Parts: sequence; structure tokens; C-alpha cells
Amino acid sequence: MLFLPQRVSLKLKMFGGTMAVVLLVSAVIAILARWILVTSLNRELEQRGVAIGQSIAERASGFILDKDRPNLVSLVFDAAQLGERKVLVSYIFISDNDGRILANTFIRPFPADLRGINPLPENKDYSIDLVDFDQSQAIDIAVPVREGIYTLGAVHVGLSKSHIDSLVGKLRTTFLGFITAVTVVMFLIVLRLSNAVARPLSRLTQAADAISRGSLDAPEAMLGLSDDAIKHCQAYADTDLPCWHFDQNRGEGEPTSQAASRTCRECRFYRKEGGGDEVAQLAESFSNMIWSIRLYRRRLRESEEKYRSLFDSNPDPVFVVEAATGRILDANSQAEAVYGYGRKELVGRDLAELEPDADGGVAAYLADRDAPERVLFPKLRHVRKDGEPLYVNVHACRIAYRARDAVIVSATDITELVEKDAQLIQASKMKTLGEMSAGIAHELNQPLNAIKMGSDYLKMVAETGGLPSPDALAAVTGQVSEQVDRAAAIIGHLRDFGRKSEPKLEYVDINEPIKGVFTIIGHELALQGIEVVLRLAASAPIKAHANRLEQVFFNLVVNARDAMTDKACQSERPRRLTIVSASAAGRVTVAVADTGCGIPEAARRKIFEPFFTTKQTGQGMGLGLAITYGIVKDYGGEIEMESAPDRGSVFRLTFPAARDKSERSP
Amino acid sequence: MRTILVIDDERPTLQMFELYLGAYGYKTLTAASGEEGLAVFDAQTPPIVLTDIKMPGIDGLQVLEAIKARRPETEVIVITGHGDTDLALAALGLRATDFIDKPIRRETLEAALGRANGRLDMAEAAGSGGDVAAACEETVGVIHIRGSLCGESEPYLTKAFRELDDAVGVLFDFTPNASINGAGLDVLASVAETCRASGRPAAVYGLAENFVRILDRLGITDKAPRFTDRGEALAYLAKTTS
Repeated sequence: MLFLPQRVSLKLKMFGGTMAVVLLVSAVIAILARWILVTSLNRELEQRGVAIGQSIAERASGFILDKDRPNLVSLVFDAAQLGERKVLVSYIFISDNDGRILANTFIRPFPADLRGINPLPENKDYSIDLVDFDQSQAIDIAVPVREGIYTLGAVHVGLSKSHIDSLVGKLRTTFLGFITAVTVVMFLIVLRLSNAVARPLSRLTQAADAISRGSLDAPEAMLGLSDDAIKHCQAYADTDLPCWHFDQNRGEGEPTSQAASRTCRECRFYRKEGGGDEVAQLAESFSNMIWSIRLYRRRLRESEEKYRSLFDSNPDPVFVVEAATGRILDANSQAEAVYGYGRKELVGRDLAELEPDADGGVAAYLADRDAPERVLFPKLRHVRKDGEPLYVNVHACRIAYRARDAVIVSATDITELVEKDAQLIQASKMKTLGEMSAGIAHELNQPLNAIKMGSDYLKMVAETGGLPSPDALAAVTGQVSEQVDRAAAIIGHLRDFGRKSEPKLEYVDINEPIKGVFTIIGHELALQGIEVVLRLAASAPIKAHANRLEQVFFNLVVNARDAMTDKACQSERPRRLTIVSASAAGRVTVAVADTGCGIPEAARRKIFEPFFTTKQTGQGMGLGLAITYGIVKDYGGEIEMESAPDRGSVFRLTFPAARDKSERSP
Repeated sequence: MRTILVIDDERPTLQMFELYLGAYGYKTLTAASGEEGLAVFDAQTPPIVLTDIKMPGIDGLQVLEAIKARRPETEVIVITGHGDTDLALAALGLRATDFIDKPIRRETLEAALGRANGRLDMAEAAGSGGDVAAACEETVGVIHIRGSLCGESEPYLTKAFRELDDAVGVLFDFTPNASINGAGLDVLASVAETCRASGRPAAVYGLAENFVRILDRLGITDKAPRFTDRGEALAYLAKTTS
């Protein structure tokens, strides 16, 4: 097999191999048989010659002793002519110990060549030798004639060599003929057998090739499948119908037991009797396989169509993004509508182009291999083709897409929601501003008053025609300037507070909005006898909006104030508002504690609900804490409350500290 | 000149007051809180006190009450935040001489100080009681009010009113340094109502701007319009009746 290249066909291998073995076996048998047959034939004939010689020697001893030559002659003739011996036996003669011929069967003069041939050794029963005489050959068998312990002479029987040769020749011819016949028969059988194996195999190969090329109809013709069976199989016609025999892996979780599934009384598809030899069975299995492939292709196409329609009819934009490059592989029609790009423009585009502030959005998720399978990014800012921003909640989910690592990005447009939210917060801020107005008026009046008096003083001095003393002038101008700054600071602070927050988060030192609250309301608290204790130790910034945080603290401080000045629960407790900020372990915490009358147990669970208020009708809308809660949650923070009737309430706010401020802060 | 005590929790304001009042020639004492103000008052007994109402700790009204309790003749002018008429009313109820709004305008301050000085001068010159006097000018009855119209003025006012029974209208003629307090306001309101009920028009002349706001607020000016010109007032009363 070493020299047989692989591309030699199976047919040739089978045929050639089998034939070579047959021929080899035939040759060996021929050689062996010839050797065995020829040897045994020769021996048999020689034994026969010895037997003839011995029977003659038995009877000849008496005649030799009597010297009865005529009987002796008749004896050898009788022996030579007996039956078929005449063909076999070429001659017989008897010689005495001295080599004289006593009798022979030659009817012509005794050939001289035979004198003294094949001498008989001492003490041997016979001797065999090939001799030539009269241009012919014979096998001479010498047998001693004995009488008692004396040897009287020897009988020589000459077996005809040509007769023996013709016998051997006949045997050989017969045998060779037989071997040849066997070989021819084997040749035919092997040829047929190899054809029977190789032809279906090559047909299966062709069919498999056709399937690989995508054609499922051609192999059917090639393999001679009947269309009939398929049409009658209900499971084929209805892909939802389970065929237990076939579909053992469909419907995860569904019981696929034979009993639960429907079976046909007679399966038209699977022939129960097996349908022939192994090759035929193989062909049948192959055709079943094609059937199965067709079925699953159809199911796959249906499934693909189903999911394609889900993909396309999704009300949210959906993208398939390659994880390695961040490029969009596919997008649905809603994505075109929302983002303003055509599908062709979207495919191949970098997702980062839709997501300009990509610090922690999908882009980061793509890069992070350890990220969970499915994540939600709330309120991401994306841009449309025309540059308009939109706000989206993004669900990202890892999948394998055409053998690539990909991420399905589903973006829910929440622009309107975000805008409404901002409007609500803005509205509540305006309300807060309204609540602050008394405090603001007071705060603004103080510097204005000082300025007014200073300038009036200067005017008065001017009217009298004099000049103010240098000290007075310095005092007045110094105060005017200082008080203008003070007023300007208050106005600036108000403007910042009232400003609509940009949707983009900024880095905020949480102590600033806390201090901001007291620039407006601090004096009022002092007038109401509330002691304010600020311990602002937080050092880490958070990502938020300063003015919304100020609103949060304003709400909490106003609530604390109201709790401490509530006429309904006056007590002799000192009025103290304590605000403590701290940062540790990546969190920034603020606690706002008052010594008010606390929140009743029953109300505690509801305080963050919208429109829930413990204040009298007309005093509060019940939106302050609800909006506070919403704002805190927006920044990833937590708010919790503790309250005891005798000790007042504590609101604890926790925010995640912003990371890598050094890189990004302006 | 008299000594004035200024109580305000705003240091810049105090500083300005000091310069300002100094320019007028007053001796000025300052205090940054109600407690400090009362201590200074006890030590120096200034005849005029200016106090802010909104202050941490003891507020202006408490200061006013304490000072009036210690020395009722002290002229106390309260300083209110802009537009706090409730507080102004409360202060007048506690017999404050006057009130001024923040930011303090020069004219208002001058007028208030002028009134306070006038009253002090008057009190020094003569005893009290003759604050209300009735007279007839042609057909119109005129009630002159000097000094302060307060709860104690009621009998005088009623007496004066009786004298004017046959007048067709009544003019309440306040002198420039006249003042009015909470009780006085009530008296004025009831008298104006009586006038109206008896079918005689009433009018007010000469009351400082500050008090007019309060009159407006209490609805007195609806019943008795206020005039800045005396002749106009008389003409109004005469015309309405004829």
C-alpha cells in the first residue's frame, strides 16, 4: 500500500487488492498441489512396481532353483501383461546373482543397456533407478529373489517413464484449468462487489457536494428519493408538529417523551424494514439527513424571518455593534428614523459617533471584557445626524453575531421624559425661589440699605458745600463697594440657582451647594433662633448639578426649619440644625439633622411620595421631598431618613464619588 | 443735640448710621443686637432709639416693649424690612413713634427724626393732653391733632367731635410732627365710620406718608380721603356736602 497514492479510487483498490490476493493464493496452491500430487503419484507407481516385483520374486524363487526357464519366462510375461500393467510396465526381467538374464519380457534381443543396471545393495528390499534404453526411459525397480537366507537373484520391473509423464501432464492441465476458472469467477465477483460499493458512495459524494452548494433538490433526484413521502409527512408540512423520531432536541424544557408526542402509525419517511444492505441503508440515512436539513433550514428561515421582523418592528432603535471595533454591523429601521441616518450610513459607522460623551457609555462596555452580559445605561446623551442631542436609556447585551463577538444595543428615546423631568425640577426650583423670596429680599435689603445710607450721607455733605472727612469718605466708599459686592454675590447666586441645568453632569464640591443655601436662608434661620452647625469635611467631588443639589439641601433645610418652628409641637429643645459632610471609601455622605418634632411613624414610609405632605393645606405641595428623592437618585445617590419624636430627624444622603477628576475637571 | 441709640444686627448699617447721624449733629450710640441695645439704653438713657425689627435673639419689637416699659416717653422709631406693614402695625400697637422702611431713605429718616424731635420738644415745652382741639372753618369742622393720637386721646377726640355737631364735614388736621399709634388708628377708624354713618364726609390732612400706608391698609382712607393740600381738603368737604 506504500506506493498506492490516496487518489486511487476505492473501486480500484478493492478490485486490485482482491485480485492480487486471489492470484497469489492460486499460484501458491498450484505449486503446492503440483508438488504434492506429482510426488505422491510417483511414489504410488513405484510402490506398485515394487509390489509387482515382489510378487514375481515370490513365485520366481522356485523356478530359479529348479532352473525352469520356460515357467520363469511365462511368469514374467503373465505379470507384465496382467490388466492395465501392460501400459505401465515397460519391461520385466529376472537376473541371477551373477547378472545373467534368466527371463525377460523383451520380444527382441535383450537391450545391452540394461545389463548390470540398478545393482541391488545388500540387505535392501528394493532399489529404484532411472535408466535409459533403446532411446526411451524407464524407472527400474529391482527387487531381490530370496529363498531362506540366500539371495537367488533380482527381479527388475521397468515402469514406463512416458506413461508416468503423460499422467502427470494430464493432472497438471486439469488443475491449472480449475485455478483459472476460479480466478475468473473471483474476478467477476470482485468487480461486481466493488462496483456495488463504490457507485453508491460516489453518488452520495455527489449528493453531498450538491447540498454543500446549497441545492437540496438535486440530491433528491440523485438518490431517487420519492417526493411522495415528504408530502405525506405531517411533521414536514407543519413545522410546529413534533415528530419524536426526528426532533429530539426541539423545544427546550418541553417534554419530548415518546408518549407525549404524536406518532404516525406508519412512518412514511423511515422505512422500518431497513431497505437493503449497509450501502443502501447509508443512502437512506443520507436522504433522511437531507430531509432533516431541509426541515431545519426551513425552520431557520422562519426563525430568522421572525426575529428579523422583531428587530425591524422594534419601537426602539436597535444596533448590532461589533465588540472588537465598536462599529455598527446592523441597525433597524427605527434607528434610521430616530438618528436620522440611512441604514447604509449606519452600517460600518463607529458607535462613538452617536455617543460623543463616551465616558462610561456603551463604548466603555465594549472595551470591558469583564462587564456583565447585560447592562443598562440610563440617560445617555446621543446625537442625531443633524447634531441635535437626544437622551436614551441604553440596554446593551452581548451576543455572537456571524461568528463575531457583538453587542446588541437597544436605545430607548427618553428625550421627552428628560425634558419633562427637567421642566418639573425647574418648576419646583421656581417654587423654591418663591419660598426663598422673603429671605432674599431681606438679604438684598441689608447691603442696599447700607449703600443708600452711605450715598445719602455723601450727598448731604455735598449739599452743605463741605467735604467729608477722609476717614468718613474711606468708610463710606469702602462700605459701598463691599456691599455692592455682597448684593452682586447674592444676585449671582440666585441666577445660578434659577438657571436651567445643562443635562451634562458637572463635578461638584458638595459643600458649595450646602453653603449656598445659607447665603439665602441663613439670616432667616438666625432670626428664628435656629443655630446652624456646619461640619463640612467632604473632599471628594461628585458628578451632579450644583443648583439641583442646592435645591435638595434647600428643601431639607426648609423642612428642618419648619419642623423646629412648628407651633404644634413647640418644646424647650434648643433649635439646632446640623449638617455634616464626609467622604470615605468612594462615597460622599451628607447628614442633615434637626432637633425638630420628628416625623410620625405612620408618615415615614410615605414622605418621599409625591403630593404627600404633613403640612397644612396651602403650606406645602408635597413635592419637595419627592423631587429631592428624584434628584438624588438621578446622581446615583441614596437618601434615607431616621426620625425619633424626641430627637428630631436626620436625612442621610450618600453619593458615589466622581472618579478621575484630575483628568476631566475643567 | 439729642443722643440717638441705633440698634441693628448689620454692622455696615450701624457704621453708616453713625456717619449719617453724626453729620446731622446727633450723638450716636450703636448696638449690634437687642441685648446690647437694652444694656446701652439702661446705661445712657437716650431719648431717641432707632431699632431694626428683625434681629436674632431679642428682636426689635421686644426691644421696643422693654424700652417703653422702662421709659415710656422715649421716642422709638422701628426699622422694618421693605413692606412689612404687619410688623409696622405691631410696632405702632406697641406705641412706637414711627417706622421706616429699609432701605432707609434720607427724607423718611429726616421726617421721622423731625417728628420725634418735635414731640420731644413739645413734651419738654408743655404737658400733654391738649393734643386734640376742635375748630370750625366756615361750614367745615376741623379737628387739630398735635403730638400723638393714641388710646388716651379718645375722650378728647369725642369731645372735639361733639363740638362740631353742626359742621357739614370733618377734617382731621395732623400737625407735621404728629404721630399715631395702634389705638389711635382704631379711634380714627371708628370716628371716620361715625362721620360716614351720619352722612358727613371726613378727610385727613397732613399725616406722614408712612402712616398713610397704614391708613390705606386699614381702609380708613376709603372713608376719609387723605389730602396733601389743606385747601383741597376743605374744598372737597365743602363740595361734597353742597
